[in-house]
Formats: sequence, C-alpha cells, structure tokens
Amino acid sequence: MRRIFFITALLGASALATASEDPSDDWEDWGDDSSAGGLRWTGFVEAAAGGRLQNDALIDDALTLGDLRARIETEWSNDKVTIDFKADAWYDAVPDELDANIRELSLAVSPTAQTDLLIGRQVLTWGTGDLLFLNDLFPKDWVSFFAGRDTEYLKAPSNAVRATWYSKPVNIDIAWTPVFEPDVYLDGERFSFFSPLAGGAIAPIPPLDALEPGKDFSNGEFALRLFKTVNGREYALYAYHGFFHQPSALTTALEPTFAPLSALGASYRRPLMSGLFNAETAYYQSRDDTAGTDPLIPNDQFRLLLGYEREAITNLTVAFQYYLEWTRDYDDLIANSFSPEFEPDEYRQVITNRLSYRAWQDKLTLSLFTFYSPTDKDFYLRPAIDYRYSDKWSFSGGANLFGGDQPHTFFKQFADNSNAYVRVRFSY
Amino acid sequence: MKTVFTAIVLIAALAAGSSQAADLSDADEIVSRANSASYYAGSDGRSEVRMIIRDAQGREQRRQFTVLRRTVEEAGDQDFLVVFSQPSDVRGTVFLVKKHVGLDDDRWLYLPGLDLVKRISAGDKRTSFVGAHYFYEDVSGRDPGEDTHVLDETTDESYVLTHTPKDSSQVEFSHYQTWIDKSTFLPTRIEYANSSGNVYRRVEVLEVEEIDGHPTVTKSRVVDVDSSGQTDMQFRYIAYDIGIPAEVFTERSLRRPPGEWLKRPATDQ
Repeated sequence: MRRIFFITALLGASALATASEDPSDDWEDWGDDSSAGGLRWTGFVEAAAGGRLQNDALIDDALTLGDLRARIETEWSNDKVTIDFKADAWYDAVPDELDANIRELSLAVSPTAQTDLLIGRQVLTWGTGDLLFLNDLFPKDWVSFFAGRDTEYLKAPSNAVRATWYSKPVNIDIAWTPVFEPDVYLDGERFSFFSPLAGGAIAPIPPLDALEPGKDFSNGEFALRLFKTVNGREYALYAYHGFFHQPSALTTALEPTFAPLSALGASYRRPLMSGLFNAETAYYQSRDDTAGTDPLIPNDQFRLLLGYEREAITNLTVAFQYYLEWTRDYDDLIANSFSPEFEPDEYRQVITNRLSYRAWQDKLTLSLFTFYSPTDKDFYLRPAIDYRYSDKWSFSGGANLFGGDQPHTFFKQFADNSNAYVRVRFSY
Repeated sequence: MKTVFTAIVLIAALAAGSSQAADLSDADEIVSRANSASYYAGSDGRSEVRMIIRDAQGREQRRQFTVLRRTVEEAGDQDFLVVFSQPSDVRGTVFLVKKHVGLDDDRWLYLPGLDLVKRISAGDKRTSFVGAHYFYEDVSGRDPGEDTHVLDETTDESYVLTHTPKDSSQVEFSHYQTWIDKSTFLPTRIEYANSSGNVYRRVEVLEVEEIDGHPTVTKSRVVDVDSSGQTDMQFRYIAYDIGIPAEVFTERSLRRPPGEWLKRPATDQ
C-alpha cells in the first residue's frame, strides 16, 4: 500500500510540474546542436503503476507494475566510429528492489566501404510480423510487455556482434550472440502461468529459474539474414542456430530448460492497394527431437504469417495478421505427451487486428491490438492511449486483457494476470 | 547618329526583356516550373530543418532534423532521407521516402529503440508530418498531375492559380490557390479552401535566399486557420549538388545514418 501511495504521489507531482512549461518561441533560444562541446546527454524519468484487474489466488500482490525509472543516453562519434550508450536505473516496487540495465553500449565501425559492424550490447530486430515473431529470434522481455512498460522494452538487448555487408546482388546481415540470451520469461514473480506438469496455473516461489545452456561459444547463437529491396518489394531469407528463447523444454530431471533450435525462413513485403502486404514463413527444427517423440522437448514447427495493413480513413490505420503454427509429427507428440489434453492443436492459428487512431496533430494515439486464436478459443486485448502533452511530458495508459475457454491455452493461462496501467514520462 | 540611336533603343529593349520576361499564360507550364523550383533545385541537396509547432493554446513543440534529397529523374522520382536529432524522444529516428510520381511512394521509418525498420503504408499523404501542421505531401511535393490548374490572374509579382483535384476523395480540400513569384517561380502563398470556399489552411513563405544559384525558401509557415495552430519551419546549412550517391537512400542509412552527408557543409551561413 505504501508503494502505491508513493507512485500516486509521484504521478500527481509530475502532473503539477507540467504547468511550468517554457513558453519561449524564438529561433535564437533554440541552442545549437553542433556536436562541438562534448557529449549530449538525454533521456527520461518515468513513473509507472499498474495493477491486476482481478485477484490471482497464486499471487498476493495486486501490483503488476511499479516503476520509477531514469534513462540516460548519449552518443559519441568521430569520422570512423560511433559509440552509443543507453542505460536504465529503476526502483521496481513489485519485488521492492533497485535495478539497473544497460540497453545499449555499442561500437559502430565500417571496416570497408560496404560493411557495417556493430559490436557490443544492442537491440536486434528483423522480420515483418507485428508482435508476432517468426524469424526474429532475438530476446524479448515478455514480463515488461505484459506489465505495460513501453513497447521498447519488449525487445531485450543482446551482447552481440552484428556485421552487415551491403552489395548490389544481395545484402548480408549476421548477428552472433556468443552467450545465449533467453527471453525474459514469465517466472511467477509478477505473473502466473499454466504448468502442464502441475495441471494448473502456478506462480513458483522462488521464481522459476530455467536451466540455461553452458556459457561457452559452442552454445552461442548465429542469426543470418539475406535481404534485398527491388522496386519497393522487400525479400529476405533467414537462418538461425541457437536455442528456443522460452524455457519450453524439460531436462530428464524435469527442470525447465531451453531446447536447441535451428530455423530457416523467408519473408516478403510490398505495397498493395494503398496498403502493405507481408508474408513470412519459418521452419523450426528442434534439434534434440527431430522425430517428435520426446515429450520433454518441443517438436519441429512450420510457421506462417500473412498480414495486410492500410490507412482505412484519415489517421485510422487498420491491420490484420493471420498466423499459423503447424506442429510436425503431431501423432507422435500426442502419443508420447505426459498431458496430451493440454497440447495445442496441430494447426494452431491466431488472428490479430491492430486499430490505431491518431488525433490532435498526432499528440494523441488511441490503439487496440487484438490477438484471437480460433483454435485455442482464447484472446489477448491490448487497448492503449498515448498522449504526448509536450516535447517533455507524455502520458500513457492501457490494459492487458487475457481470456478464453480453457485454462491451459496460450492466452487464457494469463487470465488472472489481466491488468491496467498508467505511465508518466518526463523527457530531458 | 541614327545608328547610335537605334543601338540604344535595341539595348534598352533587350535589358527590359531580360528583367521583365514575357508573362507566361499556360497554367501547366507555370505549375511545372514552380514544381521544379520548389522540389528539384540541384540534382541533390541537404538542409537542416527546425520546426516550431504551436497549438491554439500557444503551447509549442519542436522538431529538428536534417534532410537529404536526391533527384532520380528530373521532375520525376526522388529520394528523401530525414534524420531526426531533436527532441530527445525522437532522436535517431530516420525516415526514408522513395517518391514515385504517378504511383504510391515507398516510405520507411526506423525506430532506434526497437531497432525496427517499419514500413509505412502509402495511404494518406495529407496527414501531419511528425506532429507538425505540415503534411507529408508538403515535404516531398504534391504531384502536379493530381490537379487541374487554372491561371486566375497575373499581377506585377505573381501568377495566381487555382488548382482543383482530379480525385477529390483523396484530399481534404475542395481546391487551393497559389501565388507563384514570377521571377523565382517559388510559391509564396498557398491557400486551401473547403467546399464552402472558406480558407482553412495557409502556407506562407517568409524568407527566400539564393543558395548555390537556386532561389531557396529558408523560412515558411503553415497556419491551421480553424484551430489557429501553426508551424514555423526554418531551413539552414543548405547545399546543392554535393554528389550524394543513390546508396545513401537505402535501409543501410536507416540503421546507420550517413555521417559524411549529414555533417554541415564547410561554408557556414
């Protein structure tokens, strides 16, 4: 309760402070942006609070988000190299602790005229899906995403080397993460989840700590992308060698762990009828269970995504995606599974819709992202409102609403985690 | 004596002719020259832009970015790269436009926080550009072929034209009027009118300078008449014909903005 009061007070204080906006309007008081004169430090301070919309019998705390966060960013460059730095420090009221994380500390160089190297801690993204990831096998922070932190935090940083070689016939992108970096997965501290072994939802204490592969280079991750844009049509091929980023496997001692994964994929994106069409596919090879008979390890999967987005009326963008997960050797999976009744359909499908409306000179954005699975009969709704009051102050609010028919399905398992949140950010 | 007199008359006539070229009477020709003067000066160019966006309550927001532009085909396709430096929450955001005359433009936006190259659907080009009262279309230019043009009046300084959209479902205006400077062919004022004939949006050029031989707008303003909001835009450190290669306008520049072309030209203004 004390923590909620603390955050409410902060939100109130920040709302009051907005009254003292600087009304100056001259070009002259702008201040120059020339890089001379040392580093420019920017960033923000943010207060965020969120709570469960229903009780979770497994977790006493109603608070799902309670951050007081400071971000600092800077960049240094000369003709040869650029160094980027972004870091967060925050008080997290849910576990009641102080945390810090470097989001970016990277060195960018171009060893040849056609090659870019980015070395160090960085955020990596590729692929065409919107909140559905097929060939983007870089780490995600699902806890931040479900708790209502800024979308930026869905992408967790990697300690990696990224080399991109640009050439006329094709561009080649390689990302090497020497030490496997898993997702920030749900561990029961903030959110409960379904355990097929327990036959119900769990929120383990201490929080789930899955067994990670050894930190030697042979367990590193390689991701490759070949890409090219021809007349506005984007083609890409992908390959990955590493591990599933979710602890979806079990050791023989039934400890959660990360199964080895190799993947191949392709994507295509083009303008179509004043909108955008995208298609992406991936084949996931679960290297330790290619036959699909080992109940401890996920099976191979074929994944497919089709998407279309378009501005339906001025400032209202509508997007749909169709997503398919086809689990291979499904009969073997069911025959060997400890709990066949909890296995998803052979052809698990998800349909998503994004509605996004901008108003007031883009200062206000209203959006609704819907996941609905016709095969699991469950859903996840993400309504959000973002108001950019000024260049310094912005306000956000939203909810993460999960529901469905059966307690074990992908989205329904989080039903007791449904929450609403608000955030206030001061940028400097 | 008579020969000398004739010569003087001839010289005078020539001088008058050069400073006061015969007025044009073809509206399409005027529009085509205005389009060239506004968007096609030089084969390429760079400019640093600052915007002050004011709403009806007088609250202001600012944007600062550098624009690189390259003409692929004279009076035709062009590439634009817009790299944001201020405010801090948009720093590092990069916008790439492949403008196609007669077809939808290709547009990409890079969001550095997510390392995301986001493609933007062509859709409505007449919506706010990064929160300003300027539209995307004001930045990259409206295709003259989308309107029919009528020359209303020729004054001492300006050609005054009225433009009517061929497809009115694509735009929010019923027509618009431009005042085009007779010597520079830069529009000095544009007024957009709704179906009842009322002007609801006005673009004004506040300052023009000659840069590398090209008359260039260095200050302009858009006024949203109904809400009384407005955006002022200032262009600085402009340079033309600097030889920006085509490769600068690709995905590479989204992730790694091309410092060589973004840095200020040696001769400061």
